[in-house]
Amino acid sequence: MSGLQSLRLVRVSAVSGRRILAARVISFIAALAVGAVVLAACGFDPLHLGTQILKKSLGSRFGLEDLGLLLTPLILTGLAVTVMMKIGLWNIGADGQFYIGAFAATAIGLFVKGPEPAMLVLCFIAGAAGGALWILVPTLARAYGKVDEIITTLLLNFVALLLVYYVATGPWRDRTTGTVASTGRVPYEMPDFFGSLHWGFVIALIAPVLFGLLLRYTKWGYEIRLTGANPEAAHYAGIPVRRRMIAIMLLSGAIAGLAGMLEVTGTVHRLQGGISNNYGYLGVMVAVLARGSPVGVIAGAALMAIILNAGIILQTQGLTTAAVLALTGLIMMFTAVADQFAHYRLVRALPQAAAATATG
Amino acid sequence: MELITGILTTAVLAGGVLALAALGEVLAERVGVFNLGVEGLMALGGVTGIIAVTLYPNPFFGFAMALLVGLGFGALFALATVVFRANQVLCGLALTMLGSGLAVTIGKGYSGMPAKATFEKIIIPYLSDLPILGRAFFSQNILVYLIYLIIPAVISFMLFRTRHGMNVRAVGENPAAADSAGIPVTLIRFCYVTIGAALGAGAGAYLTLAFVPSWSDGVVAGRGWIAVALVIFAGYRPFGAVFGALLFGVITAIGYVGQARNWPISPTFLSMLPYLGTMLAMILPVFLWRRLRLGFTAPAGLGVPFFRDER
Repeated sequence: MSGLQSLRLVRVSAVSGRRILAARVISFIAALAVGAVVLAACGFDPLHLGTQILKKSLGSRFGLEDLGLLLTPLILTGLAVTVMMKIGLWNIGADGQFYIGAFAATAIGLFVKGPEPAMLVLCFIAGAAGGALWILVPTLARAYGKVDEIITTLLLNFVALLLVYYVATGPWRDRTTGTVASTGRVPYEMPDFFGSLHWGFVIALIAPVLFGLLLRYTKWGYEIRLTGANPEAAHYAGIPVRRRMIAIMLLSGAIAGLAGMLEVTGTVHRLQGGISNNYGYLGVMVAVLARGSPVGVIAGAALMAIILNAGIILQTQGLTTAAVLALTGLIMMFTAVADQFAHYRLVRALPQAAAATATG
Repeated sequence: MELITGILTTAVLAGGVLALAALGEVLAERVGVFNLGVEGLMALGGVTGIIAVTLYPNPFFGFAMALLVGLGFGALFALATVVFRANQVLCGLALTMLGSGLAVTIGKGYSGMPAKATFEKIIIPYLSDLPILGRAFFSQNILVYLIYLIIPAVISFMLFRTRHGMNVRAVGENPAAADSAGIPVTLIRFCYVTIGAALGAGAGAYLTLAFVPSWSDGVVAGRGWIAVALVIFAGYRPFGAVFGALLFGVITAIGYVGQARNWPISPTFLSMLPYLGTMLAMILPVFLWRRLRLGFTAPAGLGVPFFRDER
């Protein structure tokens, strides 16, 4: 056997994070290149668009504030999906839980009167409880009937969207300003600390760190990690797998609901039909980028926020949100493939070794 | 009487969308691949159908073009999940985003415009005169007959009555064993995932050329996801999928009738019915099929990429 023939692709089951990162950078560039070619074919100038994005999102104070406002929900929905990944489950319903969190916080904000700090705490609790409640049925179905959680969580997104749309255009419609598509202004607001950036951003930064610490340093966290790695082994080790699963799923829902509450009290100040802005679905993307690391969620969300911000800038240049969604999907697929490619290594095998692996 | 006929007629028409998409998903899941991109494929198929009939006003041309686009994107998805063995859940979600986004982008100029050519009703003599059922089942467009009878029959026969079908099912149940028996696992997975995706896109074209019939943003409205859920409800069987789709057609039709007749419920809540119904249909079988001792379980290899070198 000579030179070329003895080169083989070998699959390695465990690879370093650095290798995966390298594969991802390449895939990200590849996805952008495909996007650029398509944009160029549609008559846009990709280079001009690229420099515009960098200048407007990272080069100005307003750009940074916007980035922070986008980061807040993305970190939380990304964390919500990551939390469930830890036990080997997918939460595709973060969008719906986000809506219900926003819905619950708005309900408190519009109909309960009290001092602002107390009301914000109440909104916080309501948002988290709303999100947890929205994932309750999928949780019980999963825990007691092994019903696939991917689809049950997802279906409830549509129900939540319809519900929010209904109250925002119907019973809770803003009657003072006459807008037809949103509720009145929620009088309780998260205080700002950097321009229009509110303290919800800080909560969003703390949450992943807190969850990471819980996971690493507590008995509960250890049991979660064990259950995620091997449910059967966890069961035989005496861990109440079902109870841990229920706790994790409800926590995941609560975090997504919290994201919705912060969006209402911190950024939008009203409940409206499109308030989730696909954050729940983008959270899946963030969680994937973070590869199950709670703190990595912040980095993943940062990349996603830059892409979203780019999308907003691109809209002023004539590109639609739908096109940005398509580009996000493309990046996601390239990332998934890149993660696999990182597992392959080109090996120059000795003739004997090659023969041995071929027969063995 | 007239109310029941009305509901059934709409149900059959509405259920066709779900049935065709679910049949495609049955194929993909039977060979062990979980395709969550159906929603995106339907959007792509729908917009392709509309654009195609605008260029050349023949519904069959529109439907065929949608199938072709479905084959293309299905091959892309199969390349990622079957050949490169990337995570199926991720790639499916990615395909949904890519497809929905792309469809809305290219369909911008066609939004709200009625289809230039639609599938016409074919009235089957004598049978269509049957009371109640006649008009609902035997006075529909040609795709309805294809979707409810011919395609599931072909798939059913192939899967359960031929040697090739046995191989196909083996690939989904135990790819490693199938591989040692000399069955080309990757090839079979690739082909059926791609064909399944084509049916998903075809369902989109059915939506815009026979059911609505026009294109607008969000016209798919989660039907792709309902179709994925239906496959589980159907126990991964072609005729089960068709039956389930009809059931969902009835739920959808009740919502429409309620809106048309001004029932004292907000249309928003009637629109929730299909999603809530699907939830119920996901949860019930677990307890029901188990009680009835039916072997309606998922293919054992579903969702697991097959690595020959890690056997």
